[in-house]
Amino acid sequence: MTTGPSPRRPAAFRLDDPDVTVSAEDQATGRNRSGTTILLAPEPEPSLPVATAFLPPPRRFRWGRMFWIALGGLVSLAIGLGVAQLIESLFARSASLGWLGAGLAALTALALVVVIGREVRSLMKLAAVESLRERAAAVIASDDRDAGRAVLRDLLKLFHNAPAMARSRTNLEAHLDEIIDGADLIRLAERELMSPLDREARRLVSAAAKRVSVVTAVSPRAAVDMLFVLISAAQMIRRLAQLYGARPGTLGLIRLIRLVISHLAVTGSMAVGDSLLQQVVGQGLAARLSARLGEGVLNGLLTARLGLAAIDMTRPMPFVALPRPALSDLAGDLLRRSEDPAATGKPARPDEDTDRPPA
Amino acid sequence: MSNLLTDTLEQARLTARALVEFGDGLINPTLRLGVTGMSGAGKTVFLTALVNALTAGGRFPVFEALASGRLARARLAPQPDDDIPRFEYERHLRALTDERRWPESTRQISELRLVIDYQSRNRALRTLTLDIVDYPGEWLLDLPLLTTDYDDWSRETLALAQRHPRAAVSAPWRAHLATMDPLAPADELAVVTSAELFTAYLRACRDERYAMSMLPPGRFLMPGDLAGSPALTFAPLALPDGGEAPKGSVWAMMRRRFEAYKSVVVRPFFREHFARLDRQIVVVDALAAFNAGPEALRDLEGALASILACFRVGRRTILGSMFNPKIEKILFAATKADHLHHINHDRLEAIVRRMVMRAAERAEFAGSEVDVIALAAVRATREATVRRDGESLATIVGVPAAGQTLGTETFDGEAEVALFPGDLPADAAALFDQAGKSAFQGLSDTTAQEADYRFLKLRPPKIQRDGDGSVILPHIRLDRALQFLMGDRLQ
Repeated sequence: MTTGPSPRRPAAFRLDDPDVTVSAEDQATGRNRSGTTILLAPEPEPSLPVATAFLPPPRRFRWGRMFWIALGGLVSLAIGLGVAQLIESLFARSASLGWLGAGLAALTALALVVVIGREVRSLMKLAAVESLRERAAAVIASDDRDAGRAVLRDLLKLFHNAPAMARSRTNLEAHLDEIIDGADLIRLAERELMSPLDREARRLVSAAAKRVSVVTAVSPRAAVDMLFVLISAAQMIRRLAQLYGARPGTLGLIRLIRLVISHLAVTGSMAVGDSLLQQVVGQGLAARLSARLGEGVLNGLLTARLGLAAIDMTRPMPFVALPRPALSDLAGDLLRRSEDPAATGKPARPDEDTDRPPA
Repeated sequence: MSNLLTDTLEQARLTARALVEFGDGLINPTLRLGVTGMSGAGKTVFLTALVNALTAGGRFPVFEALASGRLARARLAPQPDDDIPRFEYERHLRALTDERRWPESTRQISELRLVIDYQSRNRALRTLTLDIVDYPGEWLLDLPLLTTDYDDWSRETLALAQRHPRAAVSAPWRAHLATMDPLAPADELAVVTSAELFTAYLRACRDERYAMSMLPPGRFLMPGDLAGSPALTFAPLALPDGGEAPKGSVWAMMRRRFEAYKSVVVRPFFREHFARLDRQIVVVDALAAFNAGPEALRDLEGALASILACFRVGRRTILGSMFNPKIEKILFAATKADHLHHINHDRLEAIVRRMVMRAAERAEFAGSEVDVIALAAVRATREATVRRDGESLATIVGVPAAGQTLGTETFDGEAEVALFPGDLPADAAALFDQAGKSAFQGLSDTTAQEADYRFLKLRPPKIQRDGDGSVILPHIRLDRALQFLMGDRLQ
């Protein structure tokens, strides 16, 4: 009984054999095809301790939060009392008015309950996406197969009603029972599920950045474009979250914006990849353009950066197998878009023809 | 009737002890960890590495409590049971590090207590007492005897002895058996000879060439202080179908001694040690079976299945742990994974998983967790790729023990050698296909030159010492095993 091609025989190679070349794998040099070469795999230093993560400081009882909760309770009691008194006095005037008031109050209460329910659900969903991302990162580190499978199952559940992903879903389900190490499973899932979403996310961010840059460039007042930037950033974040499977409500959106901004602060806002911005500003492009147009490009770049942070925070998986979108991917678009104002007579292309002085 | 009484009495004793230990555990949380495996599977090394990992630390990214720095320290403490030898951790570690040889295998049960101070996730300082009980897997194979009687056992053992490749090994014993008449009056001398030959047969089966695992009764191989006692002086007989044993016959004598074996050896072991475990590691050396041949693999499968059948599995509940403690987690550690390149580890895991599949399903149904991990408690090799004539082989580099041979070469125990032991089959199911002819050739059928797999005995690695002199043992996936076994109790 043979399985597959003829099995390879056991063999041994002495490392001190003169006919054998031994070298480390990462510096494999000349390939002498005739002789035998042994490439030693690099070893991790066993005594090296793993970086220990410090626990967050103990959580103290939050009196500030207590204050707001208690105050909120008091205010809602006051509102409730007011409504009850209003209905009472309506009944005192006439029964039909009283019933109308009571009905409206009931409707208000019902709507409030539904709204709260939705908010809670959206917050839970957001938390689920967050924990999924953390678990996926943990699996990448631990390479635990069962945990990887559990993450995969939850991912499939998260996207179970996205019609465009039916094909990737079936592909992945087929892989669930195969023997794949945990980390590879996560990478596989990322490639299958995330690549169409990433493309769409990139499009969303770059569209928002373009819009912001154009509006800033043409808007008559600073106040207007500030408002516009705020609104379109919020809209972009919400859309990204929807795209990646969470449907944030108002509270969810607020929480998400907080997360995105703190992420932006942590990742070092201007450090990475902003060679582009430096290039733009440093080469005096902005100065060459009209002040407003420069501001537009700048606002657009900032929006794109916010979008990148938002992608990091809304994506249910960390970037491992797929490349993290870089600012230049998005901003490239943005700068090309600046052609539009250029069409109105201003040289706005940072391309080679305007950028480089003629030789 | 008397059987029922014994069982009830036994159960009452177990319950009483469980109740006492439950009360103890409330004040002093304790985890009893059983380590078992056939002799030579690597129990001692596994346990030494485990204790060293907890006390000295090292690189264990997956073992969360240690990696995140919550595990403050672990120290050895006097063990609770005064009648059991201590696991000689220090001596085994010295053998590994100073003499660079594998520690001697343990021949009996031993115990060690570790006290672990740790900080729980919510920052409270806690202590977990870990009692580790190390016992030979051969003793486990005795447990199924509790539910069989002499006649059945005799028939099964004889049938097993006639199968290939055991038939050749058991020939002398069976030749002597043919001269014995079960109905004749008992003759002590003939019985002693038969028992000796039977023991010799069991011992020969353990040889590297056969690597058989199903060899009850276990005390025949490791008699300890019972050697020569009547409880260890019996052997199967070629029994007639039906009929009763006449008074004073060989048959009746063997039967009595078989029962004595159960009550003197098996039942006390079950009560004193086995029934009290919370978690269990079964150390499996599947590679030795690959060396020997497909029959050895199948034999190992049978042995693992009957081991798993003995465990009292089930989820841990408050009421359950008061009256009837169960084993809640079972880990099958396919050891010596360092004898394979890592691309073959998954296959090794799949093969062991396949071996324990049916029994594991039962355990999981009862609510226990079962996991299979290919690991190396002490990693003796590095990995390397060998390019030869355009072909590339994924090999491991280690120092074979003196006297090991592969092909035409014999090693001196000093030279470093890149070894390619053979590719494990991708399809685990094909190995256990009973109808198919031999899936591969092992030492039981052919010579060492022709065998399809050669997993040599390797010497332990050169051990590094940390700055403060503590020993850091390299390993493969020991951290995953630790996380599985005790991660949840160190939250």
